[in-house]
Amino acid sequence: MDQSSPPTVGQHLRRIYGWPRLRVVLPVCLFWIAMFSMTWEVAYWILAARILFIGLSALTIFGIFEYWPRRLPGWVARWVVQVVMVGAIIPVVVAIGYTVTTIGLDPPWWRDNPRLEGFFVFTFLGMLQAPWISVAALLKKIKNEALTQALTFDLERSQYEKQALNARLRLLQAQVEPHFLFNTLANVRELVITGSPHAPKVLNSLIAYLRAAVPRLNQPMANMGQELDLVRAYLEVMHMRMPDRLQFTLHADESARALLCPPMTLLTLVENAMRHGIDPAEEGGRIDIRVILQGTECVAEVVDTGLGVHKTSEGLGTGLANLRERLQLAFGDDATVMLTPVQPRGTLAVVRFPVKRGDE
Amino acid sequence: MMPTALIADDEPLLRESLKRLLAQTWPELKVVAIERNGRAAVESFEALKPDVCFLDVHMPGLSGIEAARFIGRRAHIVFVTAFDQYAVQAFDQGALDYLVKPVEIARLNDTVARLQSRLQAAQSIPDTEALLDQLAARVYKHAQPQTLRWLRISVGKTLRVVSVDEIDFLRSDNKYTLVAWHDASGKPAEGLLRTPLKDLIAQLDAEQFVQIHRAVAVNITAISHVVRDDSEKASIHLKHRTDVLPVSRTFIHHFKMM
Repeated sequence: MDQSSPPTVGQHLRRIYGWPRLRVVLPVCLFWIAMFSMTWEVAYWILAARILFIGLSALTIFGIFEYWPRRLPGWVARWVVQVVMVGAIIPVVVAIGYTVTTIGLDPPWWRDNPRLEGFFVFTFLGMLQAPWISVAALLKKIKNEALTQALTFDLERSQYEKQALNARLRLLQAQVEPHFLFNTLANVRELVITGSPHAPKVLNSLIAYLRAAVPRLNQPMANMGQELDLVRAYLEVMHMRMPDRLQFTLHADESARALLCPPMTLLTLVENAMRHGIDPAEEGGRIDIRVILQGTECVAEVVDTGLGVHKTSEGLGTGLANLRERLQLAFGDDATVMLTPVQPRGTLAVVRFPVKRGDE
Repeated sequence: MMPTALIADDEPLLRESLKRLLAQTWPELKVVAIERNGRAAVESFEALKPDVCFLDVHMPGLSGIEAARFIGRRAHIVFVTAFDQYAVQAFDQGALDYLVKPVEIARLNDTVARLQSRLQAAQSIPDTEALLDQLAARVYKHAQPQTLRWLRISVGKTLRVVSVDEIDFLRSDNKYTLVAWHDASGKPAEGLLRTPLKDLIAQLDAEQFVQIHRAVAVNITAISHVVRDDSEKASIHLKHRTDVLPVSRTFIHHFKMM
């Protein structure tokens, strides 16, 4: 649309003398040429030239004040300027028309009664008609703009709905990597075969994780309590798999548990910390999770002491990008995701989003 | 002589699981080392030279694939991986032996039978360099870095595997290179590499290793600070050791901006 960048001179000209406008101006001119030709006493081409010149000049003025000056004081409406200028220009244009078509004639047109009379008739008719045509053109323009806006709005809404649907589909696809699942099952099988007393607890964590990780399509929002339970189940499973390489702590304000957030908000951050921080580090590290209420905002922090965001970190982009998209859909621009390196090693991930309560 | 084996996996229960399953299917096999990452696996291999190495593909630091490259044709390699489409595709094309976690006893029996016949026939181990490259490309889904990431360094009679990120500096020592590094706890160590400094530098990341003297290159990330003595000289102080490295005139331009 024309708000995006100022149109070029060529675009101006195309709009000013565009067919939709000529289609109005030319028939009006032809009508008056026909009317006057019945009583006209000199050459018809002079009549045609004068009327066409008046019509096109009025069109030009209308177009010029459509764009210029680029900024008007707040109390002046552009359409008023256009209409007034189109009216005001008519006598000038008619005078020019008469002067040019009577060069070299004596006496000059303003001392020649029939010509002076013609001047007044053209001026009167022009001033009567041109502003009305301008107003009609302006009304049509306003109607078109409203239509365009309605269409744009419809388009934006359907794009938004499509985006929301895509975000949910990606959530569906993203869950439970086979690599995670089979590695975990191999561990659980070993616990069961060796008769470990930890087996039932780990199985329960795995079940809790799988139950939450199988997304519910008709439930666009989860609450922080579910997220925390999911993250704890995930971390317990990972701790069983690598007890020597992973430590973790989980702290959450009790009041934060009821807050609504998109599903997998916290888990995405924790899985990222695991995948890009702890898992690639020979000595592993720790993950500390803190969820607190700050005024009308919920702040979820995940800090790890792992390798840190590395050049070769893969998939970091997509997981976080999907989370950003889900937060954007749920909270608009009020939610943020931030990733910062931590000294001496590790990464801090922070998600902030506005407080919305649901029933736990 | 009893055949020997090494097991490497970063998950303790899975190390134990494989050891237990091997004891069932191949009682004569003696598991001489159980390691938790690729680096330890290579170091153990160099010390004990087992006949068979069971390597988890995904291990922190030096991966199973990289460890297999270092071991080369000196042992029979069996990769162990959880379901991983790319890895399994690559394995299915080639001569590399692999097990899928959770390991099924029938599948393990096949692998064991194959290994036994190879060991008895004393067959030479096929060259798998090209297959390993292909596997690495599939599993990591991107081109392997062009620069060297890990070095095998002799310390007396043992061999250590060192990440280039842990190196403090390199000093030319005739046809060898003295490598000074620090371990994860920051403890300094030195060892020798059988590659001349000039050849080594050519294989390292030029943004990380900067030559400061005809015979010395330093790891930029190991520098604590640089002291400018005068306009022609400077000395480099390191984070993990007390050595002070002089910068010679020819190379001072690297530190004009610092």
